[in-house]
Order: sequence, then C-alpha cells, then structure tokens
Amino acid sequence: MKELDVRGLSCPLPLVRTKRALDDAPAEIIVLADSGTAKANVTSLLADEGYAVTVDESDAEYRIRGVRG
Amino acid sequence: MKRRRAVGPTAWILGGSGCIIGALAAWLVSQGNPGNMGLCIACFLRDITGFFVGGLTNQGAVAYIRTEIVGIILGATGAALGAREFRSRGGSQPLLRFVLGFIFMGGALIFLGCTVRAWLRLGGGDLTALWGVLGIFAGVLAGIVFLRRGFNLGRARALAKPLGLVLPAFGVALLGFALLSAFGAKPGFATQTTEGAFATGDKPPAVYLKTDGVPSRVLKPEGGTFSADGSIVARDGVLAASAESVKKAKPQPGGRRAPIWTSLAVGLAIGIVAQRSRFCSIGGIRDAILVRRFDLLFGVVGLLVGSSVVNLLMGQYNLGFANQPVAHNDVLGSFAAMTVATLAAMLLGGCPFRQVVMGSEGDADAALTVAGMLTGAGVMHWASLASSAKGLASGAWWALGVMAVVLIAVALHGSRKTAQ
Repeated sequence: MKELDVRGLSCPLPLVRTKRALDDAPAEIIVLADSGTAKANVTSLLADEGYAVTVDESDAEYRIRGVRG
Repeated sequence: MKRRRAVGPTAWILGGSGCIIGALAAWLVSQGNPGNMGLCIACFLRDITGFFVGGLTNQGAVAYIRTEIVGIILGATGAALGAREFRSRGGSQPLLRFVLGFIFMGGALIFLGCTVRAWLRLGGGDLTALWGVLGIFAGVLAGIVFLRRGFNLGRARALAKPLGLVLPAFGVALLGFALLSAFGAKPGFATQTTEGAFATGDKPPAVYLKTDGVPSRVLKPEGGTFSADGSIVARDGVLAASAESVKKAKPQPGGRRAPIWTSLAVGLAIGIVAQRSRFCSIGGIRDAILVRRFDLLFGVVGLLVGSSVVNLLMGQYNLGFANQPVAHNDVLGSFAAMTVATLAAMLLGGCPFRQVVMGSEGDADAALTVAGMLTGAGVMHWASLASSAKGLASGAWWALGVMAVVLIAVALHGSRKTAQ
C-alpha cells in the first residue's frame, strides 16, 4: 500500500504526484488532500486508472482510498 | 480490472460548463457589455480598480464595478459552502503570489484580455486573438519546463476562518458600492465611466454622449459644446476635437455594460458553475501535455463552442483580423504578452478566473493574487503601459521584458528547493 500527502499543494501537483505514485501500479493507495479540486482530480484519475475509490471526509481533509479492482 | 479511460465523465461536465460560461458571456455582450468582453477577469478587475482610484490612474474610460465579478465571488462562495468545500487556507508564498497576480494583469492589459477573454475573442471571430492563444500555449510550455524541474511554491496550510473570508467580504463590499452608485449615491472619491459615453482619439480625448445615435452632449472638456460642423469646442472656444475625430470616436469600454442585475445574476450562475466544475482557462492545455489528462481541456473547447454559437445567433460574430472590438493586431506583442501572463498563471497553479474562484473558497493566497491583479491594473494604467485598440503603448516591450525576468527568477527560485 502507498500513502501520499498532497495537502496544500497548488495545481497540478496533486495530480502529477498521484500519477507518479501509480507508475508501479500499487494494489492500494491512500491520498490525503485538502481542497475540493485536488479531491476531484485525484478521484477521477484513480477511477480512470481502474481503482475502486472511496473518500473519507473530515473537516480538515479528504482521505482518498483507491483499491485496484 | 476495469479498462483504463482517457476521457472520464468529468470531461463532459467540464465541456458543458465551459459551454454555459461561453454562451452566457456572449449573451452579456448582447445585453450591453463591450464587444467580445462578456466576461474578462482582467478587464473587469481593472474596471473595479478604476472605480476606486481611476482619478489617480487615468482610468476615466475604464471605471465601473463589474457585478459579474461580485456574482462570481458570491456564487463560488455559496457553492463551496454548500458542497462543504469552503476551507480557510494560505501561506504558500503569499507575497510571490501577489507579484505573480500583478504580472498576470500586466501581460493581460498589453494583450487586451485575460486567458478567458482570449478564447472569447476567438469565439467572436476575432482572429487577432490567435496570437494570444499561441502565447497561451507558449506560456503553458514554459511553465511545464519549470514544473518538470520541480517548481513548487510550497504547501498552503489551514488558517483561521476569518482569513478565508477576505475575498467574499470584498465581494459584499463591492456589491454595496455598486448599488450605491447605481442608485445615485456614488461616493465622492469614486470614478465611474458614464454609461454609453464615446471618446475621441485626441489627447486629451473629448468625451460625449449620443442620443438616438446622434452626438448630443459633451462631457469632456467640461462646458464644451458641439459646433455646427460637428466638432467639439471647449468653453474658451478652442477646438477640442475635429468633426472627423468625433465621427471616429469609439465607445468607452467602461461605459458599455449590461444592466447591473443582469450582470450580477449571470455572475452568480458562472461562479456556481465554475466552482463546481473547476473550470480553468489554461489548466486544460497544461494537463493534456503534462499528465495526459484531457478532461479540463474540454472546458476551453466548450467555452469556444458556447461563445461562438451564441455570437452567431445574436449576429455578433465578426470573422477576421480587422475592426475587432477592444483589440489590436500586434502579432508579436499579443503573443509575448499572453506568454508572460500565462507563465504567471502557470506558476500560480491556475488562471485568474480560478484565482477568483479559489479566493472565494477560502484560499487567502488566491485572494492576495487578486489583490496583486487589482494593483497591477492601477499601475499599468497610471504608467500608460496598457494597450489600446491602436496597439501597444511605447513602454510596453520594456514592461514585458522586466516582467519576464521576474517570472524566470520566481520560477528558478521555486524550482531550486525540492519542496515538501
């Protein structure tokens, strides 16, 4: 499992870093994001790459979990 | 395992959103906004600067609170609150972001439009915008070079709630000033371009109003009158503008506007759509090249389609290089100015439209970027560096050179440390 923290980063870094983390096709990945935009971008990237995505939302951040389906 | 997709469902959301924004912008032109300027973040922020300090910055022709901006701010804030995405955050090189916002505005006022208006100009058939669009591509490519070298302004952090409310509060204050001015209680310090005013190309320009298409009342010089041959004569009898220059006078951009409530309502709709869709006028090209993601690209394609269709329907479409509204055809100048503006936007992480929307979602750094744009607009007009329909101002190339050097310095600084 991989874990990645993209909180507070400007576009397009959340997307770039998540994409890079997917290079070796991890079975599971967790991405921490704190903006709606990063959440949306990361979620749709993971979905498009074939991951089943769930998002845990708290006041401070989004915990995006992708599991290879 | 599911098949990989190159184009996901968000592409259609973005395409549709771009289409709506483009169509609404083109419709605003039919309602009174300047040609191909139904929506322009740079121009409209500049007009707002003009309202507050236009007397000091030679902005008499471009001074008006554009309630489209108010609508975008309040619409995006409402949408972010509704979606529980409003978060006070900041602290990612705020001062540099102010400078980048300033430079973005500098480039935009030399091109005559922001990265949104570049596409909208093209959507109105203005082919001179092509040089600007090429500049957008060049700016994106330059930005990608630095992003690949590790450019990063650093992380923003959570801030105290009130700090995220700065831009929304500014939006409310703007609405207050706009309503006061619309209902006859404009504050004494403020400047507002008279609705429907025309200005001649003289120095200083003569300004007058038309009634039923015929010149009827001289606003400047004060006390001036029309003589029998159609020229404008000052109170002391000196010729202020020849009959020919009166005939050639152009409408002042700040005096062309849709009704205040129309602008506000359309702004609100655009703000909501932009916040939900995360539309960006440069991010599409960036993502397509940098990460081979094409969703965001559908946004600008939609913008182009929506604005073209409505412009055609409204009979506003004017294909060609000549006689384009609030535009010049300086090929190199347009290209260079948009390259500079786009590189600034790339380093900021989003176009000026996105900055306004992010500022409305609680991003205090984006709010400071907007402050940089407002300040830049005042300085550009005060220093007579903004372009006109005639072309670039005399110092514009120097300004572009200085701005390019600062951008490269910022980009190198941001690429130096491998950020956290």
